[in-house]
Amino acid sequence: MKNLFIAMMAIGTLSISSSGFAQETSKIKSETVKVKGVCSMCKKRIEDAAYIKGVKRADWDVKTQELKVVYNADKTTLDKIEQSIAHTGHDAGNVVADKEKYKKLPSCCAYNDGAECSH
Amino acid sequence: MQSLMPKPFIFRLVFIGSLLGTFHFASAQDSKLEQTATLKTVTGVVSDAQNKEIMIGVTISSLDGKHHSVSDENGNFSISLPEEQQQLVFRYMGYLNDTLSIVNNSMTPIQVLLKEESHTTGKELNIVDVVSRRKTTEIGLTGAFKVEKIGSNELMKAACCNLSESFETTPSVDVGFTDAVSGYKQIQMLGLAGAYTTFTRENIPDIRGLAAITGLSFTPGTFVESMQLSKGTGSVVNGFEGTAGQINVEWVKPFEDKSPKWLINGYQSTQGRSEGNLVYNHSFNKHLSTSVLLHGRSDWMKVDMNGDNFLDNPMGTNFVGSNRWFYFGDNGLEIQGGFKAVVLNMMGGQKNYTEGTPQVVGNAWGYENQVNRLETWAKIGKVFPNKPYKSMGLQLSGVFHDQSNRYGARTYDGSQQSFYANYIYQTIINNTNNIIKFGASAQYDKYKEQFNNTPLNRTEVVPGAFVEYAYKYLTKFNAVMGLRADYHNLFGAFLTPRLHLRYAPAENTAIRASIGRAQRTANFLAENMGFMASSRAFQLNGTDINTMQSGAYPFKPEVAWNMGLNLTQKFRLNYRDGTFGIDYYFTNFTNQIVVDMEQYNAVNFYNLDGKSYSHSIQAQVDYELIRNLDIRLAYRFYDIKTDYVSGSKEKPLVAAQRAFANIGYETKNNWKFDYTVQWIGAKRVPQRYNEHAQHIHGSDYSPTYWMMNAQINKSFKDSKYEVYLGMENIGNIMQHPLIVDAQNPFGNNFDASLVWGSGMGRNIYAGFRLNLK
Repeated sequence: MKNLFIAMMAIGTLSISSSGFAQETSKIKSETVKVKGVCSMCKKRIEDAAYIKGVKRADWDVKTQELKVVYNADKTTLDKIEQSIAHTGHDAGNVVADKEKYKKLPSCCAYNDGAECSH
Repeated sequence: MQSLMPKPFIFRLVFIGSLLGTFHFASAQDSKLEQTATLKTVTGVVSDAQNKEIMIGVTISSLDGKHHSVSDENGNFSISLPEEQQQLVFRYMGYLNDTLSIVNNSMTPIQVLLKEESHTTGKELNIVDVVSRRKTTEIGLTGAFKVEKIGSNELMKAACCNLSESFETTPSVDVGFTDAVSGYKQIQMLGLAGAYTTFTRENIPDIRGLAAITGLSFTPGTFVESMQLSKGTGSVVNGFEGTAGQINVEWVKPFEDKSPKWLINGYQSTQGRSEGNLVYNHSFNKHLSTSVLLHGRSDWMKVDMNGDNFLDNPMGTNFVGSNRWFYFGDNGLEIQGGFKAVVLNMMGGQKNYTEGTPQVVGNAWGYENQVNRLETWAKIGKVFPNKPYKSMGLQLSGVFHDQSNRYGARTYDGSQQSFYANYIYQTIINNTNNIIKFGASAQYDKYKEQFNNTPLNRTEVVPGAFVEYAYKYLTKFNAVMGLRADYHNLFGAFLTPRLHLRYAPAENTAIRASIGRAQRTANFLAENMGFMASSRAFQLNGTDINTMQSGAYPFKPEVAWNMGLNLTQKFRLNYRDGTFGIDYYFTNFTNQIVVDMEQYNAVNFYNLDGKSYSHSIQAQVDYELIRNLDIRLAYRFYDIKTDYVSGSKEKPLVAAQRAFANIGYETKNNWKFDYTVQWIGAKRVPQRYNEHAQHIHGSDYSPTYWMMNAQINKSFKDSKYEVYLGMENIGNIMQHPLIVDAQNPFGNNFDASLVWGSGMGRNIYAGFRLNLK
C-alpha cells in the first residue's frame, strides 16, 4: 500500500511541475515551416537537426512537407532552427540547403532529384 | 476474503483523480492555439475512386491545416472542426489531393472517392525505411482489445535471447525460475502460471501441453519481429483456452521491405553461455519468398556462484532450425507453411555429476533433460480483391514433442502428438461497421507420460464452432461479441462466451472492458516439473502417484471466468508525449487443479473445493521525459487466494507487489542506453525444512529485493551493424539458501523447488547483430 501512495505522490509532483512550465508559455512560439524531404529517414535527420537548444518540440510530416516547431523565443529563433536543418542538406523555410551536404544525402533523400517515397 | 472488491480499488479511483489534474495542465498549454469555438463533427468513409477499395491512413484536414484526422482500418474517419470551416482536404501518397465542401448541420456520413495519380516514370528507387522514434512498446487506443505491441527494439533491450527472457522490460509479465537446477524460467500473467496464457505464433497455437514450461526456450529472440500481449480472455477465434491472456509472436517475414537478407547474431556471457543465430530471407519474385532460421546455444561452463555445490544453470546444447515459405497469388490467394525442429540436451545438478552416475546415496545428484520437438504448420488464406472486407482462412498445425527428464532418482518422460485445424470466414453485414467472423476448429492431442513407473496416457479430441460479431460506431465505440461451442471427448460439451467493449470518451482516451470464460486441461506434471527437483512426494488427492492404478485422467477440466476493466490515456506534457494506463483483472476459477505445496515434503494435486481467484491491478506510465529519453514506471498488485485442504491461503512464491522503472536514452549518433530497476515484494514461502536447526519452519514471507539490469548498444551504418554490452543482476542479489538441505540431495528434506529469488548472480554479456540487405 505504501508504494501506491508513493506512486500517487510522484504523479502529483508531475502535475505541479507542469503548471510551472505553463507560466513560461508567453515566450513559447509555435510555427510551421516548409522543409523538403522524402522519407522517414529524412524525418529523423530533419527532426534531429531541429532540436537545437531552446526547441521544445519538432514534428516533420512527410506528406505535407511541413515542420511544426515549438520553441522558446528567448533562447533561439526560427532562423537558427532553419539554419540548423539547412546545414544537414534540407531546404528549410527561407534558408536554402547546404549544397555539399545535400550531395551527401542518401539517394532516397535527394528531394531535388526526383526521389519519391514509396510508402 | 471479506469482500469481492479488493482494497486497491479505492486507491485506483484516487489515482485516476490525481491524474486528471495532470492532464488538465497538459491541455491548458497545448490548446493555446485553439480559441474556443463551436465544433462540428464530420464523418465519412474514404475509398479508391477506381476499384472502390476502402483506404486506410488518408489524411483529412481542414483548409487552414489546424485540424487533422486519419481514416482508420475500415476507411472511416471522423474530424472535429470549427463551424466556420467549410472545406476538407484529403491527402494520400500516390493519390490526387481532393478538396470537398461540406454542408453545415449535415449529420450524414460523407462518401469520398480519391483518384490515383497517373503512374509517373516507374523508376525504382532503393529506399531504406528507417522507423524513427517509434515507441518500442505501444499500447493502442483503437480496437476492442487492449494490446501491448512489443517491437523488436524492445526485444533488443532484453539481455538474451529467447521468449522466456524477453519480458524483462514488460511490467505485465513476471518471470521466475521454476526451480534451482533446470535453469528454466516460467512467466506469469495476472499472477497465474504461464500455462494459463495462450501462446500463439502468428495466431496458431504454439506452446501447449507438455511444452508449457520448456517451450518458451524454443523461440529465439532473433526470429521474432514483434509480440502482441493482451491480458484477459481473447478472441474466441483462437480457441477456448487463455485464462490469463494471450501472447502472439510474429516472426521475421521474408517478403517485408524492412527485413534484411541476412540477420546474424552472436552472444557470449560470463556465465558460459554462447549463442549464435542466423536468419536468411529470400524473395524469389513478388509471389514467392522463404526464410531459413537457425539457432544454436551452448552452456559450457560449470557455474556455481552461490557455492552450494549445485550448478546454477545446467550445461548442454540447444539447436533450433526452421524453414518457412510464403506464396502470394494475384487473385488474393495467400499460402504459407513451415516447420521448426528443436533438439535440446542439458545436464546439471551437483557439480561432479556425470551422465549415467547411479542415483543412490553417496553419489552426485544429477539433472538431465532431453527434448526433441517438431512443429509444422500451414495457412491458406483468400481475400476477395473486389470485396476486401471478405476473406477466409484455414490454419493447420501439427506438433510432435518428446521429452525425458531425470531429477536425481526421479524420472519423468512424456510425448505429445497434436493436430490443429481452424477455418475462419469473415464478412460484413451491410457495412464495415458490422463485421462477422465464423468458423470451425478441431484440436487433437495425444499425451503419453511416465512418472517413475506410473504411466499417464490420454487422448483429447475437441471439435468446435465459433461466431464473433464486431460492431463499431465511428471511433467512439466498439463491441466484440464471441461465442463458441466445443465438444470435448473426455469432459463433454461446453460453451465459451466472450465480450469485449471499448469506449473512447475523448480522442486520446480509451476505456475497455472484457469478460469471458476459459477452459483448459491441466498437464499437471509438465506444468509443475520444478517440484521434481526435490524429495517431495507427488500426490493426487492425497495419495502417492506411484500407487495409482487407473491410467485415466484424474481431474476435471480447469474452468475460469475472467473480467477486466482498463483505461488508456495518451497525453502531452511539456511538449512530450506519454501514455498512462491502469488495468484491473479478476479471474475466478470454478474449477482448478490446485497445486498444494503447503506440506514441506509433498506436492498434492486435487480439484478445487471452494474458491480460487486472482485480483490484479496495474498502473503504468510511459513518457518521453526529454527528447529521446523514455521512462517507464509501473506498479502492480496481486491478491491471489486459493482454498487448500489446509484452508484459504495466498498463492505461494508470487510477489503481491512489484514496482518497475525503465529508462532508455538514445543519442543522435546511435548510442542507446537502457536501465531497468525492479523492486520485488515479499512472497509467501510455504512450510519448509530448516537443515541447520533441524526442524520444520512454518510459512512466512521472503525478503523483498531489487533487481537491476543495464545495457549499452551502438549501431553503425543505419543499423546495419550493431554491438551491445550489458549486465544482468547488477547488485549480484541471490537467494540464500537457494536449495533446502543441499548437502543431502537423496534425503527426505532436499528441496530445490522453493525459489523466490534469483538463482543466478551477476552476469555480463556482449554480442553483435548484423543486418545485411
